[in-house]
Amino acid sequence: MSGSAIDLSLVDVWKAYRRNASRRADTFWALQEIGFDVPRGATLGIIGRNGAGKSTLLKLLAGITAPTRGRIVIHGAVAALIEVGSGFHPELTGRENVFLSGAILGMGRREIAAKLESIVDFAGVGPFIDTPVKWYSSGMYVRLGFAVAAHLEADILLVDEVLAVGDAEFQVKCLQRIQELRDRGVTSLFISHDLTAVERLCDSAILIEAGKIAATGAPADVVAAYHRRLALWDPTSGETTIDSPRSGIALTNVSLRSPDDAKAVAFSSGAPLTIAVRYAASRPIANVEFEVRYYSPDGKTRIAAPSTGESRQPLHVQPPGGVVEFHCSALPLKRGSYSIGAVVREMTTMKVLAWWDGDTRLYVSRGPATDAQLYIPHSWRLIPDDEKTAGISAGAQPPA
Amino acid sequence: MSSRPVTVFEPPDLRRIRPLAALQRLAAARDLFLTLSLHRISVRYRRSRLGILWAVIQPVAMMLVFTLMFTVLRAKPAGDIPFPLFAYSGLIPWTMFSSGLYNASTALTSHAGLLTKVSFPREILPLTYVVAGLVDMSIASLVLACLMLWFGVPLQLTALWAIVAVMLLTGLLIGLGLLLSAAQVRFRDVGLAMPVLVQVWLFATPVLYPLSAARASLPEHLYWVYRLNPMAGVVDTFRRAVVLHQAPDLGAIAVSAAVVTILVPVAYVYFKHVELTMADVI
Repeated sequence: MSGSAIDLSLVDVWKAYRRNASRRADTFWALQEIGFDVPRGATLGIIGRNGAGKSTLLKLLAGITAPTRGRIVIHGAVAALIEVGSGFHPELTGRENVFLSGAILGMGRREIAAKLESIVDFAGVGPFIDTPVKWYSSGMYVRLGFAVAAHLEADILLVDEVLAVGDAEFQVKCLQRIQELRDRGVTSLFISHDLTAVERLCDSAILIEAGKIAATGAPADVVAAYHRRLALWDPTSGETTIDSPRSGIALTNVSLRSPDDAKAVAFSSGAPLTIAVRYAASRPIANVEFEVRYYSPDGKTRIAAPSTGESRQPLHVQPPGGVVEFHCSALPLKRGSYSIGAVVREMTTMKVLAWWDGDTRLYVSRGPATDAQLYIPHSWRLIPDDEKTAGISAGAQPPA
Repeated sequence: MSSRPVTVFEPPDLRRIRPLAALQRLAAARDLFLTLSLHRISVRYRRSRLGILWAVIQPVAMMLVFTLMFTVLRAKPAGDIPFPLFAYSGLIPWTMFSSGLYNASTALTSHAGLLTKVSFPREILPLTYVVAGLVDMSIASLVLACLMLWFGVPLQLTALWAIVAVMLLTGLLIGLGLLLSAAQVRFRDVGLAMPVLVQVWLFATPVLYPLSAARASLPEHLYWVYRLNPMAGVVDTFRRAVVLHQAPDLGAIAVSAAVVTILVPVAYVYFKHVELTMADVI
């Protein structure tokens, strides 16, 4: 494997879409002047807000559509984990769909037959492999789809938000698989909203904004550039209660970490968790409160919202900014994938000054509680009757 | 590692279409072609009680309707062979043609979800319908064999000409399938026009009357136009070969062969050109 080989090369790539199918003139540029090289074995992360052009870029690289201008040269076989479960037919069984989907993704029949056992095992759908997939739960469906894609032999891997599917345990499995392929020297391109994952998995990163490359370099630098730009961004969505950036403060990142394990991808119920909320301030602001929010796996229900205001500790922020850390000594959430939000408010008026706009995900895996809705940090004590009659009541020494 | 394939993506340009390179990629995807063709055949009749019988029902029903009609009208368009045999031997290639046109023309638009997510040689989609049509035709031919036994019409060596007819029919469906499916992506009018087109085409093809009847009744200049219909040669050759024990009208075969020879390459280049951006407009 030579270090200088370039696997992916884009030269001045532009892509236009028509806004209106019948009017030729009404086009917009989804991508403009995109140019970069990915050396063999490297992992490139692509970040940017929704609609910036990340997915269009991936479609061009996967050969789903051609560029309007420019040139893309790819050395090697490409596997695209763009949308898993593509080509599944509801009437067919899991086994038949593995063959169908595998063939569509470019595997030979013999290759699929050889890998079938491993695919079924990865997806964890063993007993249902001869059941039509229309009877599958959505989780099983997605897992089987990803399992097929994850078994592609490729020189170049394109990944688009795969981590947003399936349950937490499966997401960890996907991350591990991607890491495994990386270790094997597969060149990869990784598109994600999950900035923490980009920082962890990628060698370099590119920030795309409004179809153009806005920053490129080491992942930490590009993520920082993204944060600075987020802070400058003026939300013109018509939400009047929110006054950022004129409010003078912006939330630029929310990241999760485990005090025990700096490289943790998933957290366990009952384990400690630290959430760091990074803010940028353009002027000193007195009496603010921060709040972190936990949203259920569907992303709709807010299930918890602890704030600094609960402890009546007014915070005063100073430019240029800093970090507020939330610490939880025993995570009460059951296994699942949660979305983490954050807001900062003025304490007296409760006016929202800024909120976190990114997608931060918390994967809770394993842990002691599995079936109930919550894990409650606790301890138990056995009190036999004869001790009670002997006058020992609650509050006494726990039994040795 | 040195044998890695090199792929280049560039803006659509007719001058850059390389049909031979495209055929190589198609050959490399033969497993997908096989899997999708089998899928097409197995899924179509799954959950239907009559299953594969549906491949037979359509031509048989049409044959019965026309037999009844011509019996009531006391018309004898078939000459000296039994009319059911005459009609059915024309309806077999015709049914493959008409249902092949319907299916292949919507082959891409009915798989829009797939086309916007996965990359593979897209011509496989219309082509699998041609394969499924050939399978249906083979099944429908079993009924023809039964009819021939019933009416005591033997099979003779001329029947080998039917292979030529089926090859021409397959070529015609490949060409039209590529052309119409690609056009349908941009112009949904294609799908809407299909019933009218097929209806008119049926009457312009010697399915329910012999080619000789068209020659006898049409004025010279109109018959010349009529001869340009490539399906005339296909249906006429198939019927002559199997039930009439006659050598084909070589003129009609030449027209069909010429149409196929021109149509298929042109349709393929057009298809590969449209393919590059079809995911954007589908």
